[in-house]
Amino acid sequence: MSYSLIIAETRKGEFQEGNFDPLYLSDIVGLPSYILLPEGEYGILRGSCDKVIVAPLKEGEFLNPLNIIRLLERTFQAFGEPSAILLPHCSFGIDVAPYVAGRLGWPIITDISGFCRGEEGEIFIKTLYSEKINGHFRLKEGMRFVGTVRKGVFPKVAEVVKETLFEEAPSIEKDPRRDFIEYIEEEIEDVDITKADLLVSVGRGVKEKGNIPLFEELAALLGGVLSCSRPVADRAWLPKARQVGTSGKTVRPKVYFALGISGAFQHIAGMKDSDVIIAVNKDPSAPIFQYAHYGVVEDMHRLAQKMIENLRDQK
Amino acid sequence: MEVVVLAKWVPTTQEEELKIIDEGRSVDLEEVPFRMNEWDTYAIEEAVRIVKEHGGVGWVISMGSEDADTALRRGIAMGLERGVLLETEEDLIDPFQRAFIFKNLLQKKGIKFDLLLTGGQAEDDEFASTGGVLAGLLEVPYASMVIGIEEISGGEITLLRELEGGLMERVKMALPAVVSIQTGINEPRYVSVTGVLSAAKKERDFLSAADFMEGAKGLLQLIRVEIPPPKEGAEIIGGDLDGKVSGILNILKEKGVYK
Ligand SMILES: Cc1cc2nc3c(=O)[nH]c(=O)nc-3n(C[C@H](O)[C@H](O)[C@H](O)COP(=O)(O)OP(=O)(O)OC[C@H]3O[C@@H](n4cnc5c(N)ncnc54)[C@H](O)[C@@H]3O)c2cc1C
Repeated sequence: MSYSLIIAETRKGEFQEGNFDPLYLSDIVGLPSYILLPEGEYGILRGSCDKVIVAPLKEGEFLNPLNIIRLLERTFQAFGEPSAILLPHCSFGIDVAPYVAGRLGWPIITDISGFCRGEEGEIFIKTLYSEKINGHFRLKEGMRFVGTVRKGVFPKVAEVVKETLFEEAPSIEKDPRRDFIEYIEEEIEDVDITKADLLVSVGRGVKEKGNIPLFEELAALLGGVLSCSRPVADRAWLPKARQVGTSGKTVRPKVYFALGISGAFQHIAGMKDSDVIIAVNKDPSAPIFQYAHYGVVEDMHRLAQKMIENLRDQK
Repeated sequence: MEVVVLAKWVPTTQEEELKIIDEGRSVDLEEVPFRMNEWDTYAIEEAVRIVKEHGGVGWVISMGSEDADTALRRGIAMGLERGVLLETEEDLIDPFQRAFIFKNLLQKKGIKFDLLLTGGQAEDDEFASTGGVLAGLLEVPYASMVIGIEEISGGEITLLRELEGGLMERVKMALPAVVSIQTGINEPRYVSVTGVLSAAKKERDFLSAADFMEGAKGLLQLIRVEIPPPKEGAEIIGGDLDGKVSGILNILKEKGVYK
């Protein structure tokens, strides 16, 4: 019986929520699901999958593509070969999935955000061109592939309750060529953007560092705090602590006022739970308009100037 | 140190309204401007710095139409020495296949590397896979989304990988290795248009990707592209500039964040 093997991520011992999307995708595809994990307690998985396979590896040894491939070889011997190897699309999945695909000679589809089955067979959907296009991909040689799955896109198939078996994976000799040393927490002293009621957030549309003060003034006049998307922090136009998104902060202000941000999922994931999202973009087809409550198609610089004039007049 | 960078010449679609052509099979990129994949700019800068510190030769390798030569010239203008373009007019969408072609190139041409860098992902298809698949095919160590290279010595590299929410991990790997680079790792140097133009005087190798296809099967098929079906979507605040401004201020007042 074929199955899908979900290689799950834990961080500092914590089972990550993003693991559920590959699990739910496996249910939707209709494959039994085996979840492979590092040492730990996984009672929470009871009922949700067919097997929990715990590897005799510490987290730092497990989250390593070179050890995973050795573990897979032994796991295949013990449990048979799966038809899908699925991982969450995150810093772990993106580290392991391509390497495993290369070693096994299997196709890879990353960042899967949809699935359908029709006359053309099984179709996996992935976004392309800064999320303006959905690509429908088919495996040329049938169901045998490695995939990473975007977080929060697949719902739980309601009726699935399984009898979960807990097993141990065979032990492996660790690959000496890559070693985890330690976790490091970024320490940056700056305002805490997660505490603000109003975030005025600028993206690459701000164009250059010299334009930042305009938006700083706008934020100040409104009594809000200035935050940003990744490219703005990458260029050090604003401190890294102001970055919203998966690799920055997750924020939930009363109002998230986004200017010149296109709406990549790594950004959306960090602000989608804001009470109200207002997006300003000059491109009416910008993906952020799909997530915002209010949209304004306008040049952000012109708009900011005008707002500042109005606000100054009122003072 | 031999340092190889794989760089991609990509369409800049962030500000474009895209059209679907070919009966739903492809996206019209005719009018879309192209540029160096942003992640690759950081990878090239990192390579230039490593070669400067440790000596050796830096390579930039690209695959695509002849326009992708601009990626080589940019790489050279930034400070790399050698450029190789695998020319193809085919749209090779499968990252497994692309990685296989790069593997064939490296092996057939005897290009040895201590470190091979790629961008963390390409802006156009965001597969984030070519480097990892290549490392797997070559059976060399791999680390992705690297946000700091701390030390290279004694045949080892110590680096920082970016994880989620501000967390990083320090990892040590044996060389030769493949590393994918995350944006923000450095400040890519500015190169002028004339710099890119004059890099055309430097020798580059133009090869046909077709000569490196042995075993490089495409395992994935892109059967259709579509504009994503609209979600609930935003309520658009229209009108003139004044109308837009007062529309926004009204919402801020309603939510009590601006009085
Ligand atoms: C592992 C990983 C982690 C990541 N983590 C994050 C993260 O935490 N946070 C994050 O933000 N990104 C993150 N990213 C990057 C993400 O994929 C996008 O590249 C990024 O969010 C794009 O930022 P942007 O929207 O500002 O820029 P772009 O995508 O370039 O968009 C700029 C927008 O500005 C608009 N614009 C331009 N000029 C104007 C103008 N004058 N007026 C109005 N609008 C204008 C354009 O139409 C466009 O929509 C991550 C990527 C990876 C691979």
